[in-house]
This record gives sequence, C-alpha cells and structure tokens, in this order.
Amino acid sequence: MKKTAADNSVRITERSLFYWILRRHRPMQLFLLLVIVISLFFKVFPLEMQKRIINQAIYLKDTHLLFLYCGLYIGAVTIAGLLKYAINVMQLYIGQKILVEMRTELYHHVLQLPLQFYRKMQPGTVISAMTAELNAIGFFLGGAIAIPITSVLTFIVFIGFMFNLNPLLALLSMGVYPLEIIVIPFLQKKYNRLNKKRVKTTRSMANVVNESISGIHEIHGNASYRLEEKKLSSYIQQLYALLKKLFVIKYGIKFANNLFQSMGPFILFLVGGYMAINGQFTLGALVAFLSAYEKVYDPWKEIIEYYQSYQDAQVRYQQIMKIFDLDPAHALLPSSRDPFTLQGNISMKNITFSVPSGIKLLEGINLDIAANEQIAFVGYSGSGKSTLSLLIAQLYDASQGTISIDNHHMDELSKLDVSSNVAMIAQQPFIFSGTIRENLLYGIQAIVDENHVPDRSQVLSVIRQVGLQDDIIRFGLQAVLTPEQCKPFREKFLRMRQIIQTSLKKDFEKSIEFYDASAYLYYSSIRDNIVFGDSLSGEFVIEHLPDHSSFMELLREMKLEKPLLTLGYAIATQSVALLADFQDDEFFFRDNPMELEEFTTYAQLIDRLNGPQPKDKEARRLLLILALRFIPEKHSIISLPSAMEAKILGARRRFQEIVIHIDTDHGNGLEMWTPCLKTCKSGEQMDFIPFCPSEYMYTHTLLDNILFGAVKSENILDEQLRDIAEQAFQDEKLLDEVMDIGLNFEVGSKGDRLSGGQKQKLAIARAFLKDAPILIMDEATASLDNTSQARIQGLLETGYKGKKTVIAVIHRLDLTPAYDRIVVLKAGRIVEQGTYDELMERKGAFYDLARADS
Amino acid sequence: MTSPEQTLDPNALSKITGTQEFLNRLPIFSGAPAGVTKMFAYLAKREEYYRGDLIVNADVRCDRIFLIMSGKVDIYQSHKGRRFHLQLLGADSINYFGELALLAEFDWPFSARAWTDVVLLTISREAFTKVMERFSDSYSIAVQKIIKLHINRFADQRNYLISHISPEAWREDPPEDE
Repeated sequence: MKKTAADNSVRITERSLFYWILRRHRPMQLFLLLVIVISLFFKVFPLEMQKRIINQAIYLKDTHLLFLYCGLYIGAVTIAGLLKYAINVMQLYIGQKILVEMRTELYHHVLQLPLQFYRKMQPGTVISAMTAELNAIGFFLGGAIAIPITSVLTFIVFIGFMFNLNPLLALLSMGVYPLEIIVIPFLQKKYNRLNKKRVKTTRSMANVVNESISGIHEIHGNASYRLEEKKLSSYIQQLYALLKKLFVIKYGIKFANNLFQSMGPFILFLVGGYMAINGQFTLGALVAFLSAYEKVYDPWKEIIEYYQSYQDAQVRYQQIMKIFDLDPAHALLPSSRDPFTLQGNISMKNITFSVPSGIKLLEGINLDIAANEQIAFVGYSGSGKSTLSLLIAQLYDASQGTISIDNHHMDELSKLDVSSNVAMIAQQPFIFSGTIRENLLYGIQAIVDENHVPDRSQVLSVIRQVGLQDDIIRFGLQAVLTPEQCKPFREKFLRMRQIIQTSLKKDFEKSIEFYDASAYLYYSSIRDNIVFGDSLSGEFVIEHLPDHSSFMELLREMKLEKPLLTLGYAIATQSVALLADFQDDEFFFRDNPMELEEFTTYAQLIDRLNGPQPKDKEARRLLLILALRFIPEKHSIISLPSAMEAKILGARRRFQEIVIHIDTDHGNGLEMWTPCLKTCKSGEQMDFIPFCPSEYMYTHTLLDNILFGAVKSENILDEQLRDIAEQAFQDEKLLDEVMDIGLNFEVGSKGDRLSGGQKQKLAIARAFLKDAPILIMDEATASLDNTSQARIQGLLETGYKGKKTVIAVIHRLDLTPAYDRIVVLKAGRIVEQGTYDELMERKGAFYDLARADS
Repeated sequence: MTSPEQTLDPNALSKITGTQEFLNRLPIFSGAPAGVTKMFAYLAKREEYYRGDLIVNADVRCDRIFLIMSGKVDIYQSHKGRRFHLQLLGADSINYFGELALLAEFDWPFSARAWTDVVLLTISREAFTKVMERFSDSYSIAVQKIIKLHINRFADQRNYLISHISPEAWREDPPEDE
C-alpha cells in the first residue's frame, strides 16, 4: 500500500471522510472524471438527433437523412451506455480499494489500542464497526466524487440545452427545484438523527448476541434462554421502532421527489403545447425538450440520493471513528533502528497502577530484577501479582513511576522491542483458529522474517519439552492424508503396517481385526465386507450403494438383496421398539446402525411396512442402508446369521471381479505385499483402492492405514499398544514425520478441539519457541496436571536457570523453593522478598501464606 | 414358492434377548424392571481376553464394570515389585469386578488379568448413568445392590487374605496397663 507522508500526518480517527476520497488513487479518479466529461457529450447528442429526425428528416421526407440521424442516434446511445458501464465499474473499484485501505489502517490502529480500551469496549461494537458499518461506507466511497460531478455536469448540460431550445419553458420547468432544496434537507436532518440512534442500537444488539454466544455454556447450564431472549428483545423492539420512523422519512423524501418530478411535464404540456399550437415552437423542439426534461431529472435525483447516502455514510463514519479515537500507548516499530537485544535487567521505581475508577491495584512498587534471575510473585488473590507481571510485559502502563529494562525506559521501548525480548504465557492463553503449527509459530513469526522461523527439529524439540508429544502423535495418526501429502512417506507407512502385520502381529491381533481378503470381518460393516475397499470419489459410500446399478445387480446375482432387506428390517424394528423413549439422546445411538436424526424416518417406515420386503424403492433403500452399516461385533441390537457370512464373502470376490476388475487374492504368504491395484491405461492411479496390504487407503486415517484393520476395543488399543507402536515408529525414524503431520491438526475456533491442558501446553511451547531473554509466566502451569506441571518446572530449573530472566506468578507455593527470589505482594504492595529459606525463617507474610496453603 | 433367501426371520435375529437373560441371572440385575435390563443388554460391550492378558491396570482411571461370562480372572495388587493375589473370580462364583466404577470416578485400586481365556461383558459408567436417569425409581435399589456386591467381594478378599496372612501379623489383646 502506497502512503505519502501527508497520509500519516493526521491521526486516522481525526481524518474526515473526504480525506480518504481526495487523497487516494488520484490518477484513477482523474481518469474517471475524464470519462465522465466525455460521456456527457454522448448523453446530449441523441437529443439533438431527436430534434433533427422530426424537424428535418421526417419534415423533409428525406430517408437518407433519416438513416443518418438514426444511425448517429443509436451510435451515441450505445457509446453513452458503455461509458456509463465503465464509470460504474471504475466507481466500485475505486470505492472498494479505498475501503480496503481504510479497513486495513483502522484495524492496524484498533489492534494497537491499549488494553484499557478493551476493558470497557464490548467486542460486538468493534466487530459491528469493522464489518457491516464500514461496508455501508464502502458503497458511498465509490461514487463520492464521480456521482456529484457527473450529476451536476449532466444537469447543467441539459439545462443549457433546454435554455437553448426555449428560455421561457426552461425557466418554468426549473421552478420546482428550489422547493426541493428546502424540503429535502429538512427531512434529511430528521433522518440523520434517527440513523445515529439506529447505529447505536444495532451495536448494542450485536453486543448482546456476542455475549450470549461467548457465554453459551453458562446459558445452557442455567437454561436462561428466556432471560437472554428478553435482553435482546428490547433492542429488537427499539430497532423496529426506529426503522419504522426511518422508512417513513426515507419514503417521504422519495414521495416529495416524485411529486416535484410530475409537476414538470404538466407545465411543459400546458405551456409548450399552447406554444406549438400557436406556431411559436416546433414539434421537434417540443419532443427534444420533453426528452431533455426527463433526462435532467435523473441527475437531479442522483444528487438527492447522493446527498442522502453522504449523510448516512457521514453518520456511520463519525460513529466508527468516535469509538476508536484513542492513541496507541506505544509505537509499533522502533524509529530508525533495529529492535534492542536486551539482557533482561528489570527495574521498577515507585510504581503505581490505578484503574479508571481511581482504585489503586499497585502502589509504591520498587523492585530490581537482575538478568537471568528467576523470580516468583506470590500473594493472595487480588494482591496485584498478575498486574505487576503485565506491566513488565508492557500490556498495561503504570499510572505513576518508571519501569525500565536494561536501562531503557518503558516509554522509549516500542512494541517490537518488548515482544522481541519478552515471552508471556497467560493463565488462560488464547489459541487462534488454524493449525497447531500456526499457533506455535504465532509469537515468533511476529518478530522475525520468514528465513528465521524455527525449523521442524526445533519445533518438535519444544513440543517434547512441554510434554505435548503424545497429543501431537495422536493428531498425526488421526490425519487423513491426500495422495500428495502421503507420497513422501507412503512406503515408510506401509513398512510400519508390515511390521505390525508380522513381528508385532501377536500383540496387535488381540485388539485389531486385520483386513483379510478371505475372512469375514466381524468388526467391519457389511458394506466393508462386500466392497472391501474405498473409492476416492465416494462412489461406494453406503448412502450411494442402493442406487448403484452394478452393486445392486451383484446383490441380486448373489441372492443377497432379500436377506439384507430382512436384516435392515430387523434392525429398524428392534431399534424403533427399543429406543422410542430414548430418541432425544445421541448416546443411545452410538452403537446402532441407525442415527438419532433418522429415528423418526424409520419409525414412520416401520409403521407403514407389512414385512421386510417392501415394494417401493425408497423403503428398500432405507432398509438396505441400515443393513450395509451393520457391524456384527459392534452393534448389539441383532446378530448376523452365519449363513449370510459365506454369501457376503462370495459377494466380495464377485464385486472385485465384475465391478472393480481386480484380483484380491493376495491375503497371505509371500504374495502378501504384491501390488494388487491395477492402474489405468494412462498410468494414473485408479479411483478404487482395495483393502490390500500393499495399498495406502487415502480415505482412512494414518492410524487405520498402519493398523490395517478394524479396532476391536479402543480401551485395549489405548492402554497397551501405544508404547509398542511408538517404539516401532521411533525405530523406523517415522515419529518426526507423524508429529509433523500432527502439527497440521486444525484446533478449531479458540482451540475448541483441544483440551484445557493441551491449550496450556501449546501456549507454553509458543513462548519457549520465542527463546526471549525474559519469560513471564502468569500462573502458566495452573491448569496442568501434577506430572505436566513438574515437567515444566523441571525445565525452568534445568534449561533456563542462569540463562533467562524468569518471572512467574505462582499460586502453588510448593513450587517456590526452586526460584532465586520470592516477592510477596499484599493489597498491591510488596510486603516481603527473599529466598524460600529466608522467608520461612522470617515467619512473616510468606510463612502465613505457606501455612494457609498446606 | 418362497425363495431360499426369503426364509430369514427378522425376530430370530435379536441378540439382546440372550444378553438380557445373562444379566437377569446376575445379583446386581435380579429383580430389576425388564426395561432396565433390556437397555443394559443393548449397551453392554463384549470383551475377550486371552490367558495372561492384562484387563485392568491399577492407577488407571476406572470407567466400567466387568461381568464374567466365561473363564477366570485374577485380581491382584502389586507391591514392591511383587504381585499379591487377592481373588480368583469365575463365571460360576463371584462373577463381577469394578462395580464401584458405576457410581464414581477413581483410579483402579487393583489390577486384573485373564487367568484363563475369558469373555467379559462390560457396562460403562456413562451407560449406567444414562439409563438410570430414565429409570430413577430403580436407581437407589441399584446403588444399594452395588454396595452390597462390593461388600461381598471385599469380605471374600479379606477372608482370603486372613487365611494367607503370616503368623507375625496376629496380635494378642493389648496389655491391661496401656
């Protein structure tokens, strides 16, 4: 984005709306103006042609002239239309470009506003301002210059043309305009007042909705739906009342416009007609005059609408800028130097911190922390220990006193100086939507260029340090890889499968039913037993199979259709009878082929069926789907007749022969790893991938691919096999690859797909990865289990001792002996400091705290 | 004429009835309403272990009760590297363990392994809670039964330990003057 010095000289919130319009994209705006001027000629020219067609061509009965003038007329009209189209596109383009810059610069400003601003500002207000309200302004920006200039010039040109034709008629038809100049601004003022109220009410409404969504757990927990509805309904009513008034005025303005517009032709027909009858005015001139009058009203209407949208945009713009009218507390970048590399000596002199109500959260704090010293802040809740740590991290600014790091006063340190040298871990860290990798690199990417981002080994090393390794491996194993993602490791993964199928087979076969082309699979669905593979295009998903002609033909050929329909009917009748009183809880449907949301459909189906072999296609489809989903060892609702197993096995072989055209006879012995996948003539991979030991199944997770079978019991798999599998991965040097895949796990909105402990470890890893000389931990391990907490504490004692300045806000006092110094705070003041032994010996505030803790 | 593939009887396919009959024979479910045992029969899971397999590991979070359908299960506790046998459970004797897991979450205080090949039926705490929410009248009776079962098992374990305790553990009455 190009910005001039002048652009930056005015604070963003003090800029007027036209500041943006007049200073951005000037060459393009000038070009637009030129196009507008050219288009004026092509707007007036057809009127002259109208006059000449009637007065000359028709009057003189000259067909040559008629064709010429008609040709010129249509040419001019076409060019005018094309120019109008180009003007519209350019207007929109310029408007959106300005809006992008406005939004980007405003967001840049908003993000830098001090935390105090966000304490009092509701998120809904900020969101509404940055999105919908700015959008509305964008539509105005596009035509901010072009519309008034086009309209005024068009208006003048047409008026000139009308005066040229007949000054008296022109004067009379213009008589109505002064009335509009008085009436419309009067109505518009009223409209603006109401519009301001509308913006405010919409924001309040957005805040209520935002708060409800953020606190949805609490609302569900308390079933406080009515309470929340009540909160919103008052705003909905207010908005309704305001909009009613707004529309009355808006359409009042429109009505006034239309009324005045109708007055013109009335005068023209009356006076112009009289003059034409008396030979004072030619017919051609009257037609041209009427056309000109009609056209002169368009720019006038546009001016009026422009005036309205300008007022609307102005109100919105002022309201937006008003809420963000605050200066960032610190510059983002250091002026004309690189960010400092600090040692980590921190000095605080006579620090006081007050909230806007005047209450002092910290008072008279004097503290010096040497570089590489490890300090624990302790105290009762509300003693100010967290606030003190936030002041050091420059997240808040002291009301009085000075804080300096390595003799640099906090005021002279830019945001980048501090963020490059301080890593902060909050008690409840924020996890952004995106992958684990993106979250891990979030801190470091903000301060270094792309070339200095930690490599994979550094990232994985930190993951291991904080104890997140098992989680990342699990995420990696649960990933479904595309052929491209899988390609570099495919052979290694298949090698892992081979290890499990051979040397580890005895351990795993207790919990895994391996895919075996010659055996019936009791832990797999009937669909898997027949199809015995998957297609990348989803051709053979269960829901498609009842409509798949080859598949259905096969079922009929193997005499399987009717038994499957009976099976589906048995599942449906038993499930409907058993779960009629339990259909509100998904839990009861977990081990059933029927899904909760399908219950009503099947209940209605069973109600109308007389037996298991219905005639209508939809009923057969529904029963067949249940049967194909059925997993004998998982679904306890019915049992599979043994006679069907042999038929299904026969169908599997036949399916692969006649539908897929492959040979799956590769189940054992030396031929086990022989490729069984035919390739297309082009050499491309086939869409269908069978459960073949030598094939990677791209529709399955990595874990499914390695285990190559259906899991019998998750409990057994989790408890007994993780260590064995992990060791095998390690031996095969695959663990890093799996972890690397796991780093791409999408954590969901605010990290919702992670547990509390995982989020905390991720935040700790993010801070460790930054490798800053100062580490601030605000009860950073409080939500971790004892083992994980001890691991992090151990890491601080071994890896960080004497190397980094560590400031830890600690609640659990049994962790404090490891720190070089303990600072005890009480009611915003430091009441005691010293080593653990000194403080315990002194029997003061810390001793009391420790006793209370035990 | 009826074709061979049409002879399948939908009613004969029900698997729940057999499981329900097994549950009805267990003291914990005896006398429970048919609706309750039917739901547990539906929600119960079958687990198979080979001789020597670990079924439950001490200090791991408990989550289900185990009902022995066939085979024998060794309940033991490890102490200072040695395995102390507490109980040998079979399908024909005290044929359950982990009953308190239905009521509360805690770490298993013992380990269990398959003494022979065993087939178990398990019911998770979640399933127990969900079903009992619908049959609240049966809940207090179920809790009483679980506690009684636990005491029975506890008494059995204690008697076994007493019969195997070392003579040094036996004490005289305290002296009069103390």
